[in-house]
Amino acid sequence: MALALLAAPGPVLGHAALIDVMETRAVTIHARYDTGQPLAEAQVAVFAPDDPRTPWLTGRTDADGRFSFVPDGREGRWAIQARQAGHGAMGYITWGAAEPGEATMLALASPAATDGLQRLVLAACVVWACISTALYFRRRPAGHKGAR
Amino acid sequence: MHIPDGILPLSLTVAGLAAAAGVTAVSLWRIKARPDPRADVPRAALMTAVFFVASLVHIPVPPTSVHLMLSGLMGMLLGWFAMPAILIGLFFQAVMFGHGGLTTLGVNGVIFGLPALAAFGFLCLVRGQGGPACHAVTAFAAGAGAVMLAVALFTAVLLAGLPAHLDAATERRAILALALAHLPLAVVEGLVVAAVLGFLRRVSPELLRAA
Repeated sequence: MALALLAAPGPVLGHAALIDVMETRAVTIHARYDTGQPLAEAQVAVFAPDDPRTPWLTGRTDADGRFSFVPDGREGRWAIQARQAGHGAMGYITWGAAEPGEATMLALASPAATDGLQRLVLAACVVWACISTALYFRRRPAGHKGAR
Repeated sequence: MHIPDGILPLSLTVAGLAAAAGVTAVSLWRIKARPDPRADVPRAALMTAVFFVASLVHIPVPPTSVHLMLSGLMGMLLGWFAMPAILIGLFFQAVMFGHGGLTTLGVNGVIFGLPALAAFGFLCLVRGQGGPACHAVTAFAAGAGAVMLAVALFTAVLLAGLPAHLDAATERRAILALALAHLPLAVVEGLVVAAVLGFLRRVSPELLRAA
């Protein structure tokens, strides 16, 4: 009887489940419009450093526009794209360059990360440039009669 | 409604740049053929500023928000000047605020510029016909129609350039939702165009004739 039990197939005994819990480094993106509204449920594609054409991972952002993943250890510049209805942004992170536990910066490839005052000043500069252009061309050429 | 860099495939990006260059060349040729090509530059410069600032005006349409486009107004007030003015405005929007992109400047120029020229053509067709009420209706139709045409072009370009790794059904639903969110904007812009043109007809009708 004991011999028969020992000779039984392995899976019959395989009822135990094991979980290894460990701490690891991960990458988190926060995708949002420049109005502050999150890109909720946006589609995310992660591109590994050695294959910028084929996504290594795809997924969706949460309701707050966040998405996290753990790179597989390949060092180099990872690209992460979040898009929804033709809007979106591409972010990059250099993985492996930082020491474990050190904060790694994720730069969104968009100059939209400006505050309200900066936007106001930038808009004023462009508007003034347009007004200057209008004033310049409003002058009539020399010798032209009936200047406006 | 501004397509940013990295969203479209290279072929569509190049095609958009070529199309925008072609339309701009035709526009400049028509402007050059005028007796005084410089005459309307001040107005074009000022309308470029208005177009540039308009993209910063967000109108909440739950669950998203849209911004003014003013393609119809640009076309009806500037005529052939609309296309170069829109391209300059889009360039500054991309560089200053990240609205759109530099590689997609051509595609965005076509999406905003063609409706402007269509509104201008529509205005030329109905010019001088009917009374004030008819003018208001045609101005509203041109303003609202320009938004709808821009949304149609935006949708067509995005659907044509969907990458294989994307969940196409989800993206199509998102694009459709965004297109529907622009319906109220079409009404708003139609009213804006009707109001502005009605005002100009009363106080300075020569401005409309010049376009």
